[in-house]
Amino acid sequence: MTAGHTGKDPTTEHLSDHGLLALVAGGDREAFARLYDQYSEAAYSLAVRVVRDREFAADVVQEAFLAVWNQARTFDARRGQPSTWILTVTHHKAVDAVRREERRRSDPIDEEYEGRDPGAPVDEQAWLGMTRERVRQALRRLPDPHREVLELAYFAGYTQSELAERLALPLGTVKSRTFAAMTALRDEFARSGVTMEDSGTRR
Amino acid sequence: MEHVDELIAAHALRALDPDDERAVEQHLAECEGCRHKLAEFEAVAAALAYAAPAAAPPLELRDRILGAAEPVVQPPVPPPVRERRRWWPRIAAVAAPGFAVLAIALAAWNISLRNDLGDTRSRFATGRVIHLANVGNVVTSGGSAILYADLKPAPSGKTYEAWVITGGKPVPAGTFDGGTGTRLTLTHDVAAGDSVAVTVEPEGGSAQPTSEPLAVGASNLG
Repeated sequence: MTAGHTGKDPTTEHLSDHGLLALVAGGDREAFARLYDQYSEAAYSLAVRVVRDREFAADVVQEAFLAVWNQARTFDARRGQPSTWILTVTHHKAVDAVRREERRRSDPIDEEYEGRDPGAPVDEQAWLGMTRERVRQALRRLPDPHREVLELAYFAGYTQSELAERLALPLGTVKSRTFAAMTALRDEFARSGVTMEDSGTRR
Repeated sequence: MEHVDELIAAHALRALDPDDERAVEQHLAECEGCRHKLAEFEAVAAALAYAAPAAAPPLELRDRILGAAEPVVQPPVPPPVRERRRWWPRIAAVAAPGFAVLAIALAAWNISLRNDLGDTRSRFATGRVIHLANVGNVVTSGGSAILYADLKPAPSGKTYEAWVITGGKPVPAGTFDGGTGTRLTLTHDVAAGDSVAVTVEPEGGSAQPTSEPLAVGASNLG
Protein backbone atom coordinates (compact mmCIF):
# COMPACT_ATOMS: atom_id res chain seq x y z
CA MET A 1 0.00 0.00 0.00
CA THR A 2 3.02 2.22 -0.17
CA ALA A 3 3.40 4.69 -2.99
CA GLY A 4 6.23 5.14 -5.47
CA HIS A 5 8.18 8.32 -4.99
CA THR A 6 8.68 10.56 -7.97
CA GLY A 7 9.67 13.73 -6.16
CA LYS A 8 12.23 16.16 -7.38
CA ASP A 9 14.88 15.84 -4.69
CA PRO A 10 17.43 13.29 -5.88
CA THR A 11 18.88 12.68 -2.45
CA THR A 12 15.64 11.37 -0.94
CA GLU A 13 14.37 9.71 -4.09
CA HIS A 14 15.72 6.27 -3.21
CA LEU A 15 14.36 6.18 0.30
CA SER A 16 11.56 3.88 1.32
CA ASP A 17 8.78 5.28 3.48
CA HIS A 18 10.58 3.92 6.53
CA GLY A 19 13.68 5.82 5.48
CA LEU A 20 11.69 9.02 5.02
CA LEU A 21 10.06 8.58 8.39
CA ALA A 22 13.46 8.11 9.99
CA LEU A 23 14.46 11.47 8.53
CA VAL A 24 11.24 13.02 9.81
CA ALA A 25 12.19 11.73 13.25
CA GLY A 26 15.32 13.83 12.94
CA GLY A 27 13.33 16.94 12.11
CA ASP A 28 13.68 16.80 8.33
CA ARG A 29 10.89 18.96 6.89
CA GLU A 30 11.56 17.94 3.33
CA ALA A 31 11.07 14.26 4.11
CA PHE A 32 7.91 15.22 5.97
CA ALA A 33 6.67 17.11 2.92
CA ARG A 34 7.34 14.02 0.78
CA LEU A 35 5.22 11.86 3.07
CA TYR A 36 2.51 14.51 3.10
CA ASP A 37 2.47 14.65 -0.70
CA GLN A 38 2.19 10.88 -0.92
CA TYR A 39 -0.58 10.29 1.58
CA SER A 40 -2.47 13.54 2.12
CA GLU A 41 -5.06 12.74 -0.53
CA ALA A 42 -5.84 9.34 0.97
CA ALA A 43 -5.98 10.89 4.45
CA TYR A 44 -8.16 13.80 3.36
CA SER A 45 -10.54 11.59 1.39
CA LEU A 46 -10.96 9.37 4.44
CA ALA A 47 -11.50 12.35 6.74
CA VAL A 48 -14.10 13.91 4.44
CA ARG A 49 -15.97 10.61 4.25
CA VAL A 50 -16.02 10.25 8.03
CA VAL A 51 -16.67 13.79 9.22
CA ARG A 52 -18.68 14.93 6.22
CA ASP A 53 -17.37 18.47 6.23
CA ARG A 54 -14.36 19.70 4.27
CA GLU A 55 -13.14 22.26 6.77
CA PHE A 56 -13.49 19.83 9.60
CA ALA A 57 -11.70 17.21 7.50
CA ALA A 58 -8.81 19.60 6.88
CA ASP A 59 -8.47 20.12 10.63
CA VAL A 60 -8.44 16.36 11.18
CA VAL A 61 -5.73 15.88 8.57
CA GLN A 62 -3.68 18.66 10.13
CA GLU A 63 -3.96 17.08 13.57
CA ALA A 64 -2.99 13.71 12.16
CA PHE A 65 0.08 14.85 10.23
CA LEU A 66 1.33 16.96 13.11
CA ALA A 67 0.98 13.91 15.35
CA VAL A 68 3.13 12.02 12.85
CA TRP A 69 5.66 14.86 12.89
CA ASN A 70 5.84 14.94 16.67
CA GLN A 71 5.82 11.21 17.27
CA ALA A 72 7.97 9.96 14.41
CA ARG A 73 10.80 9.23 16.83
CA THR A 74 8.65 6.74 18.69
CA PHE A 75 7.48 4.86 15.60
CA ASP A 76 8.56 1.24 15.74
CA ALA A 77 9.08 -0.27 12.30
CA ARG A 78 7.62 -3.55 13.55
CA ARG A 79 4.25 -1.87 13.65
CA GLY A 80 4.22 -1.89 9.86
CA GLN A 81 4.24 0.67 7.11
CA PRO A 82 4.38 4.40 7.74
CA SER A 83 1.41 4.75 5.39
CA THR A 84 -0.63 2.47 7.65
CA TRP A 85 0.36 4.55 10.65
CA ILE A 86 -0.54 7.83 8.94
CA LEU A 87 -3.96 6.56 7.90
CA THR A 88 -4.56 4.90 11.28
CA VAL A 89 -3.89 8.17 13.09
CA THR A 90 -6.10 10.03 10.60
CA HIS A 91 -8.92 7.55 11.10
CA HIS A 92 -8.57 7.72 14.86
CA LYS A 93 -8.77 11.52 14.86
CA ALA A 94 -11.70 11.51 12.44
CA VAL A 95 -13.73 9.03 14.47
CA ASP A 96 -12.97 10.90 17.70
CA ALA A 97 -14.12 14.12 16.06
CA VAL A 98 -17.34 12.56 14.88
CA ARG A 99 -18.09 11.09 18.28
CA ARG A 100 -17.39 14.38 20.03
CA GLU A 101 -19.57 16.33 17.70
CA GLU A 102 -22.17 13.62 17.38
CA ARG A 103 -22.38 14.06 13.66
CA ARG A 104 -22.55 10.90 11.69
CA ARG A 105 -23.64 9.85 8.29
CA SER A 106 -24.24 6.31 7.22
CA ASP A 107 -24.65 6.66 3.48
CA PRO A 108 -23.26 3.78 1.50
CA ILE A 109 -20.03 4.56 -0.26
CA ASP A 110 -20.88 6.45 -3.40
CA GLU A 111 -18.79 6.52 -6.50
CA GLU A 112 -18.41 10.27 -6.88
CA TYR A 113 -14.99 11.16 -8.09
CA GLU A 114 -13.74 14.62 -7.32
CA GLY A 115 -10.81 14.84 -9.64
CA ARG A 116 -7.25 15.47 -8.54
CA ASP A 117 -4.36 17.77 -9.16
CA PRO A 118 -3.72 17.58 -12.92
CA GLY A 119 -0.05 18.27 -12.25
CA ALA A 120 0.43 14.98 -10.39
CA PRO A 121 2.68 12.48 -12.19
CA VAL A 122 0.74 9.88 -14.12
CA ASP A 123 2.27 6.85 -12.45
CA GLU A 124 1.18 8.10 -9.04
CA GLN A 125 -2.38 8.33 -10.26
CA ALA A 126 -2.23 4.84 -11.73
CA TRP A 127 -1.05 3.36 -8.46
CA LEU A 128 -3.70 5.19 -6.46
CA GLY A 129 -6.49 4.31 -8.88
CA MET A 130 -5.46 0.66 -8.88
CA THR A 131 -5.41 0.45 -5.10
CA ARG A 132 -8.81 2.14 -4.89
CA GLU A 133 -10.26 -0.31 -7.38
CA ARG A 134 -8.83 -3.35 -5.61
CA VAL A 135 -10.12 -2.25 -2.23
CA ARG A 136 -13.59 -1.47 -3.59
CA GLN A 137 -13.75 -4.80 -5.38
CA ALA A 138 -12.75 -6.64 -2.23
CA LEU A 139 -15.50 -4.86 -0.33
CA ARG A 140 -18.08 -5.72 -2.99
CA ARG A 141 -17.15 -9.38 -2.64
CA LEU A 142 -18.06 -9.44 1.05
CA PRO A 143 -21.48 -10.80 1.96
CA ASP A 144 -23.85 -7.82 2.43
CA PRO A 145 -24.32 -8.30 6.21
CA HIS A 146 -20.56 -8.37 6.74
CA ARG A 147 -19.89 -5.36 4.58
CA GLU A 148 -22.64 -3.38 6.26
CA VAL A 149 -21.26 -3.69 9.79
CA LEU A 150 -17.74 -3.06 8.56
CA GLU A 151 -18.63 0.12 6.69
CA LEU A 152 -20.74 1.50 9.49
CA ALA A 153 -18.00 0.81 12.00
CA TYR A 154 -15.16 2.22 9.93
CA PHE A 155 -16.75 5.11 8.07
CA ALA A 156 -19.52 6.17 10.42
CA GLY A 157 -17.63 5.60 13.64
CA TYR A 158 -20.24 3.48 15.41
CA THR A 159 -19.13 1.28 18.28
CA GLN A 160 -20.16 -2.36 18.29
CA SER A 161 -22.93 -1.93 20.85
CA GLU A 162 -24.27 1.09 18.94
CA LEU A 163 -24.33 -1.06 15.82
CA ALA A 164 -26.14 -3.86 17.65
CA GLU A 165 -28.81 -1.38 18.66
CA ARG A 166 -29.03 0.32 15.29
CA LEU A 167 -29.24 -2.92 13.33
CA ALA A 168 -31.35 -4.75 15.95
CA LEU A 169 -28.81 -7.54 16.20
CA PRO A 170 -27.24 -9.37 19.13
CA LEU A 171 -23.87 -7.88 20.05
CA GLY A 172 -22.24 -11.26 19.42
CA THR A 173 -23.52 -11.22 15.83
CA VAL A 174 -22.08 -7.76 15.23
CA LYS A 175 -18.74 -8.92 16.61
CA SER A 176 -18.57 -12.09 14.57
CA ARG A 177 -19.65 -10.39 11.33
CA THR A 178 -17.05 -7.67 11.84
CA PHE A 179 -14.37 -10.26 12.47
CA ALA A 180 -15.41 -12.30 9.43
CA ALA A 181 -15.24 -9.19 7.25
CA MET A 182 -11.82 -8.19 8.54
CA THR A 183 -10.27 -11.62 8.12
CA ALA A 184 -11.70 -11.97 4.62
CA LEU A 185 -10.28 -8.59 3.68
CA ARG A 186 -6.95 -9.34 5.31
CA ASP A 187 -6.58 -12.42 3.13
CA GLU A 188 -7.88 -10.72 0.00
CA PHE A 189 -5.65 -7.66 0.38
CA ALA A 190 -2.62 -9.85 0.96
CA ARG A 191 -3.48 -11.86 -2.14
CA SER A 192 -4.03 -8.83 -4.36
CA GLY A 193 -1.01 -6.95 -3.06
CA VAL A 194 -2.90 -4.09 -1.42
CA THR A 195 -1.11 -4.79 1.85
CA MET A 196 2.45 -5.92 1.65
CA GLU A 197 4.55 -8.05 3.95
CA ASP A 198 7.71 -6.09 3.62
CA SER A 199 8.59 -2.56 2.92
CA GLY A 200 8.69 -2.82 -0.83
CA THR A 201 7.43 0.31 -2.45
CA ARG A 202 5.35 -0.11 -5.54
CA ARG A 203 6.60 0.85 -8.97
CA MET B 1 -8.37 -13.64 26.99
CA GLU B 2 -11.60 -14.68 25.34
CA HIS B 3 -12.22 -13.81 21.70
CA VAL B 4 -9.12 -11.67 21.70
CA ASP B 5 -8.74 -11.88 17.92
CA GLU B 6 -12.25 -10.46 17.43
CA LEU B 7 -11.44 -7.65 19.81
CA ILE B 8 -8.22 -6.88 18.03
CA ALA B 9 -9.93 -6.69 14.63
CA ALA B 10 -12.57 -4.36 16.04
CA HIS B 11 -9.88 -2.33 17.79
CA ALA B 12 -8.21 -1.71 14.44
CA LEU B 13 -11.53 -0.27 13.26
CA ARG B 14 -11.84 1.84 16.42
CA ALA B 15 -15.23 0.23 16.96
CA LEU B 16 -14.75 -1.11 20.47
CA ASP B 17 -16.91 0.00 23.34
CA PRO B 18 -14.90 1.64 26.13
CA ASP B 19 -14.73 -1.45 28.41
CA ASP B 20 -13.53 -3.70 25.62
CA GLU B 21 -11.09 -1.08 24.48
CA ARG B 22 -9.50 -0.79 27.91
CA ALA B 23 -9.29 -4.56 28.24
CA VAL B 24 -7.68 -5.10 24.86
CA GLU B 25 -5.20 -2.27 25.31
CA GLN B 26 -4.08 -3.79 28.56
CA HIS B 27 -3.70 -7.17 26.90
CA LEU B 28 -1.76 -5.72 23.96
CA ALA B 29 0.75 -4.19 26.32
CA GLU B 30 1.56 -7.71 27.53
CA CYS B 31 1.27 -9.81 24.39
CA GLU B 32 3.62 -9.41 21.49
CA GLY B 33 1.79 -11.95 19.33
CA CYS B 34 -1.35 -9.89 19.63
CA ARG B 35 0.52 -6.70 18.82
CA HIS B 36 1.58 -8.39 15.61
CA LYS B 37 -2.03 -9.34 14.89
CA LEU B 38 -3.07 -5.75 15.52
CA ALA B 39 -0.48 -4.54 13.03
CA GLU B 40 -2.01 -6.85 10.41
CA PHE B 41 -5.54 -5.64 11.07
CA GLU B 42 -4.42 -2.02 11.13
CA ALA B 43 -3.04 -2.49 7.63
CA VAL B 44 -6.46 -3.80 6.55
CA ALA B 45 -8.26 -0.87 8.18
CA ALA B 46 -5.84 1.61 6.62
CA ALA B 47 -6.51 0.07 3.19
CA LEU B 48 -10.23 0.75 3.71
CA ALA B 49 -9.39 4.44 3.52
CA TYR B 50 -8.98 3.93 -0.21
CA ALA B 51 -12.63 2.98 -0.56
CA ALA B 52 -13.64 6.53 0.32
CA PRO B 53 -14.49 8.76 -2.63
CA ALA B 54 -11.43 10.65 -3.79
CA ALA B 55 -11.22 14.21 -2.51
CA ALA B 56 -8.32 16.53 -3.22
CA PRO B 57 -6.99 18.35 -0.15
CA PRO B 58 -6.91 22.15 -0.44
CA LEU B 59 -3.48 23.45 -1.40
CA GLU B 60 -3.34 25.81 1.55
CA LEU B 61 -3.64 22.85 3.92
CA ARG B 62 -0.18 21.77 2.86
CA ASP B 63 1.26 25.17 3.75
CA ARG B 64 -0.56 25.18 7.07
CA ILE B 65 0.75 21.78 8.04
CA LEU B 66 4.33 22.22 6.89
CA GLY B 67 4.41 25.63 8.51
CA ALA B 68 3.18 24.21 11.79
CA ALA B 69 5.87 21.53 11.91
CA GLU B 70 8.09 22.98 14.61
CA PRO B 71 11.67 21.81 15.05
CA VAL B 72 11.70 18.79 17.31
CA VAL B 73 13.83 19.08 20.47
CA GLN B 74 16.74 16.70 20.28
CA PRO B 75 20.43 16.54 21.16
CA PRO B 76 22.42 19.11 19.19
CA VAL B 77 23.56 17.42 15.99
CA PRO B 78 24.51 18.79 12.62
CA PRO B 79 21.71 18.34 10.07
CA PRO B 80 21.97 15.23 7.89
CA VAL B 81 24.35 15.77 5.00
CA ARG B 82 22.16 16.31 1.96
CA GLU B 83 24.35 17.53 -0.84
CA ARG B 84 26.31 15.01 -2.90
CA ARG B 85 29.87 14.49 -1.81
CA ARG B 86 32.52 14.62 -4.51
CA TRP B 87 33.09 11.20 -5.88
CA TRP B 88 36.42 9.41 -5.58
CA PRO B 89 39.33 10.01 -5.70
CA ARG B 90 38.53 13.50 -4.39
CA ILE B 91 36.37 12.49 -1.46
CA ALA B 92 35.80 15.15 1.18
CA ALA B 93 35.75 13.50 4.58
CA VAL B 94 32.59 13.93 6.62
CA ALA B 95 33.82 16.01 9.53
CA ALA B 96 31.27 14.93 12.07
CA PRO B 97 32.34 14.61 15.70
CA GLY B 98 31.93 11.08 17.00
CA PHE B 99 29.02 11.81 19.32
CA ALA B 100 27.10 13.60 16.59
CA VAL B 101 27.42 10.71 14.17
CA LEU B 102 26.14 8.30 16.78
CA ALA B 103 23.28 10.61 17.67
CA ILE B 104 22.28 10.94 14.03
CA ALA B 105 22.38 7.18 13.65
CA LEU B 106 20.19 6.71 16.71
CA ALA B 107 17.70 9.34 15.62
CA ALA B 108 17.62 8.08 12.08
CA TRP B 109 16.89 4.56 13.18
CA ASN B 110 14.17 5.30 15.73
CA ILE B 111 15.86 2.96 18.08
CA SER B 112 13.73 2.67 21.14
CA LEU B 113 16.18 2.72 23.96
CA ARG B 114 13.61 1.26 26.30
CA ASN B 115 13.25 -1.99 24.39
CA ASP B 116 15.48 -4.26 22.42
CA LEU B 117 18.64 -3.45 24.26
CA GLY B 118 20.04 -6.55 22.65
CA ASP B 119 19.65 -5.01 19.23
CA THR B 120 21.07 -1.71 20.32
CA ARG B 121 24.08 -3.37 21.85
CA SER B 122 24.78 -5.42 18.79
CA ARG B 123 24.72 -2.34 16.64
CA PHE B 124 26.75 0.04 18.71
CA ALA B 125 28.60 -1.86 21.43
CA THR B 126 32.16 -1.78 20.30
CA GLY B 127 32.00 -0.27 16.87
CA ARG B 128 32.42 2.94 15.08
CA VAL B 129 29.45 4.31 13.19
CA ILE B 130 29.63 5.73 9.70
CA HIS B 131 26.59 7.69 8.69
CA LEU B 132 25.48 7.44 5.06
CA ALA B 133 23.10 10.31 4.50
CA ASN B 134 19.74 9.23 3.03
CA VAL B 135 20.82 5.59 2.99
CA GLY B 136 21.47 4.35 6.51
CA ASN B 137 24.59 3.68 8.47
CA VAL B 138 27.52 1.32 8.74
CA VAL B 139 28.64 -0.09 12.06
CA THR B 140 32.17 -1.40 12.30
CA SER B 141 33.51 -3.71 14.93
CA GLY B 142 37.16 -4.61 14.70
CA GLY B 143 37.65 -4.61 10.95
CA SER B 144 34.31 -6.08 9.90
CA ALA B 145 31.40 -3.83 9.04
CA ILE B 146 27.64 -4.15 8.66
CA LEU B 147 25.55 -1.83 6.51
CA TYR B 148 22.03 -1.05 7.72
CA ALA B 149 19.83 0.60 5.11
CA ASP B 150 16.23 1.53 4.34
CA LEU B 151 16.14 1.93 0.60
CA LYS B 152 13.44 1.24 -1.93
CA PRO B 153 13.99 -2.02 -3.80
CA ALA B 154 16.52 -1.46 -6.59
CA PRO B 155 15.03 -0.89 -10.05
CA SER B 156 14.57 -3.97 -12.20
CA GLY B 157 17.86 -5.06 -13.77
CA LYS B 158 19.83 -3.14 -11.18
CA THR B 159 21.25 -3.70 -7.76
CA TYR B 160 22.68 -1.59 -4.98
CA GLU B 161 26.39 -2.03 -4.40
CA ALA B 162 28.43 -1.04 -1.38
CA TRP B 163 32.04 0.10 -1.73
CA VAL B 164 34.87 0.56 0.70
CA ILE B 165 37.07 3.39 -0.40
CA THR B 166 40.50 2.62 0.85
CA GLY B 167 43.72 4.24 -0.28
CA GLY B 168 41.58 6.57 -2.38
CA LYS B 169 40.11 3.71 -4.45
CA PRO B 170 36.71 2.03 -4.24
CA VAL B 171 36.69 -1.72 -3.61
CA PRO B 172 33.50 -3.77 -4.07
CA ALA B 173 31.99 -4.67 -0.69
CA GLY B 174 28.75 -6.43 -1.49
CA THR B 175 25.49 -6.05 -3.39
CA PHE B 176 21.93 -5.94 -2.08
CA ASP B 177 18.42 -5.54 -3.43
CA GLY B 178 17.21 -2.90 -1.00
CA GLY B 179 13.93 -2.82 0.90
CA THR B 180 13.47 -1.75 4.49
CA GLY B 181 15.62 -3.56 6.99
CA THR B 182 18.63 -4.33 4.81
CA ARG B 183 21.45 -5.72 6.90
CA LEU B 184 24.52 -6.46 4.81
CA THR B 185 27.85 -7.66 6.09
CA LEU B 186 30.38 -5.90 3.92
CA THR B 187 32.74 -8.24 2.12
CA HIS B 188 35.67 -5.90 2.66
CA ASP B 189 37.04 -4.65 5.94
CA VAL B 190 36.68 -1.02 6.90
CA ALA B 191 39.81 0.41 8.49
CA ALA B 192 40.34 3.80 10.11
CA GLY B 193 40.36 6.48 7.44
CA ASP B 194 38.35 4.36 4.97
CA SER B 195 35.03 5.54 3.60
CA VAL B 196 31.93 3.62 2.58
CA ALA B 197 29.74 4.45 -0.40
CA VAL B 198 26.63 3.01 -2.05
CA THR B 199 25.79 3.18 -5.75
CA VAL B 200 23.22 1.70 -8.09
CA GLU B 201 24.82 -0.77 -10.49
CA PRO B 202 23.64 -3.19 -13.16
CA GLU B 203 22.35 -6.48 -11.76
CA GLY B 204 25.21 -8.64 -10.49
CA GLY B 205 27.25 -5.64 -9.46
CA SER B 206 30.33 -4.05 -11.00
CA ALA B 207 34.05 -4.22 -10.38
CA GLN B 208 34.23 -0.45 -10.35
CA PRO B 209 31.45 2.09 -9.70
CA THR B 210 29.61 3.13 -12.85
CA SER B 211 27.46 5.83 -11.30
CA GLU B 212 27.45 8.63 -8.77
CA PRO B 213 27.05 7.44 -5.20
CA LEU B 214 23.79 7.72 -3.30
CA ALA B 215 25.86 8.49 -0.24
CA VAL B 216 29.43 8.51 0.96
CA GLY B 217 30.41 8.41 4.59
CA ALA B 218 33.80 8.51 6.25
CA SER B 219 34.71 7.20 9.63
CA ASN B 220 36.48 9.66 11.87
CA LEU B 221 36.05 7.67 15.02
CA GLY B 222 38.42 5.29 16.74
